[in-house]
This record gives sequence, structure tokens and C-alpha cells, in this order.
Amino acid sequence: MSWLASFTEKEVIRTTDLILGLITGIFFGFFLQKGQALKYDKQLGMLRFKDFTILKVMITAILVGMVGIYFFVDMGIGKLSLKPTVLGANIIGGLIFGLGWGMLGYCPGTALGATGEGRFDAFWGGALGMLVGAGIFAEVYSYIKDTFLKWGDLGKLSIPQVVGIQHWVVILIIWVVLVLALVAVEKKKL
Amino acid sequence: MSVLKKVRWSPYVAGALLGLVSWFSVLTAGKYLGVSTTFVRTIGMIESLFTPDRVASLPYFVKEKPLIDWQVMEVLGILIGAFIAAKLSGDFKKRFVPPMWENRFGPSRLKRWAIAFLGGVILMFGARMADG
Repeated sequence: MSWLASFTEKEVIRTTDLILGLITGIFFGFFLQKGQALKYDKQLGMLRFKDFTILKVMITAILVGMVGIYFFVDMGIGKLSLKPTVLGANIIGGLIFGLGWGMLGYCPGTALGATGEGRFDAFWGGALGMLVGAGIFAEVYSYIKDTFLKWGDLGKLSIPQVVGIQHWVVILIIWVVLVLALVAVEKKKL
Repeated sequence: MSVLKKVRWSPYVAGALLGLVSWFSVLTAGKYLGVSTTFVRTIGMIESLFTPDRVASLPYFVKEKPLIDWQVMEVLGILIGAFIAAKLSGDFKKRFVPPMWENRFGPSRLKRWAIAFLGGVILMFGARMADG
């Protein structure tokens, strides 16, 4: 147990954080499963534009999440976590991610969830592969961190900041656009 | 509560509830839902079994330390939550080759494992690159 324990002593990790993480994850996995978002057939169906279940789940989650989080930020009880926009890394990394996702049919979170549903290709294939992929990147990182990973570094951007419009107006516009998109998807019975 | 035993919920209901999970996450722990960093931490922990000094000094593991944190627990939670949800509705099924895959590529588990594994390697490499 001491090898394992050494990873919780190195930094001050509050026990409450660990418990909250577990609870959050349980709800996350539960609702993903009920929404059928863990299934290979649904994820590939989405990538092949034949089944839009995943899109409906993701967009609804974004619409609801967005409202609450900005409310918390405005109330001073939450903080945004902006990641820097680095064009080279974001675009190339995204393309590579998409290739892998299409091959595996699960993403990091849904692979663990699919394992929970009994779909063991997600674990023995997917999750183990992901560990290896992370390990490979850790090696490559040393060589690219000051070069490729800085190409097109635009810093931490948010849409309201870039367009210069107050965030609640942006949220309203996004709601209108995305709800219309979902209505269109429903009309076409996708 | 028979709704918990339903096999599938409306994707809009599931999505909205996931949005609420993100509220919970931010309010209670100041964290955003994420998963891929946990894979970096986990491989760091595994590698530490064999080459601890090297892991301690590799820049990427200095950046994302091999430790058990909020997100590692969240990822464990995802597995548990999905299991509970599937068991409640009878949707739990031990299966290696997904139906859509089998239709196109046949029933070979080895073939499925090979592509799933390679896909996982590529996917995570891309995810960490994009993540910065």
C-alpha cells in the first residue's frame, strides 16, 4: 500500500476532494449510460452522421452547463478554467484524436463507462491503448514543448472576450443557434 | 423508482442532467469535468513502479504529476456509475465486439482488440497534444 500511498502524500490532496470526485464521476457515468452515450454503435453512428444521439446529449449538456457556470462565476462562487488556444497543437491534436476515436469508437471517459457496461473491448483495447498513448506523448513532450506546442499560441481566449460582447448575450445567441440546430435534427428524424 | 430501471432516457434529459453534474462539479470542488489527464497520471504511476527517478524528472510528469486526485476518482466514478445504471436496467452485457463493428469487420476479437488498442494509443496522443 505504501507505493499507492506515496501518490497521495506528495501533494496536499484533501480527502473531501477525492470523495467529491468519486460522487461527481458516479453521476457522470450514470447519466451517460442512461443516455446511451457509452455505446460504440452510438459513437460511430454519430461520426458517420447516421445517429445524432451523441450530439443531442452533448449539446444539451453544454447549453445547461454554460448557464449555471457563468451564473456561478458572476456570483463569485466559481471560476472559469480557460485553456490557452494554441492553433498548431489544437488542430493537429484534434485531427489525431478524431482518427483514434473513429478507430476505437470510444473517447477517454466513455471508454471507462463502456467498461462499466461490460463492453470489454473498451478496457482491454481502448483504455490500455490510451495509457500507452499517454506514455508516448509524455516522451515526445520534452522535444516539442518549446517548439511545436507554442505555434499559434493565442493565449487564453473566450468567445465573449474575442467578439467583445457581454457573455449573457453570447449565451443567448448560442442557445438560439443550437436549439434551432436540434429542432432541425429532430425534424429530419436523425 | 421505475425510471431508474428504464434502458434509455431521452438524450435531452440525459444531457441536461450532465449539465447539472457540471454545476455540481464546479460548485463543490471548483473542477471541470475531464478525463484524459487521469490517463497521464496513471501511466506515470505505473512507470514509477519501474523507473521512479526518471518519471520524477520527465517534464511532462512534472507538469502532470503522478498522483491520485479529484479527477482520478471521478474517472473511477464513471465506471461505477455506468455499471450501476446498466445493471438497474438490464443493459449490462459482457461483450467484446460491438454489433456495428461485427457487421462490417466480422466477429474476430483479435482484430477488434488490435484496432481498439491502436485507436486508443492514437486518440490519447492527440488528446494530450490538443490539451497543451
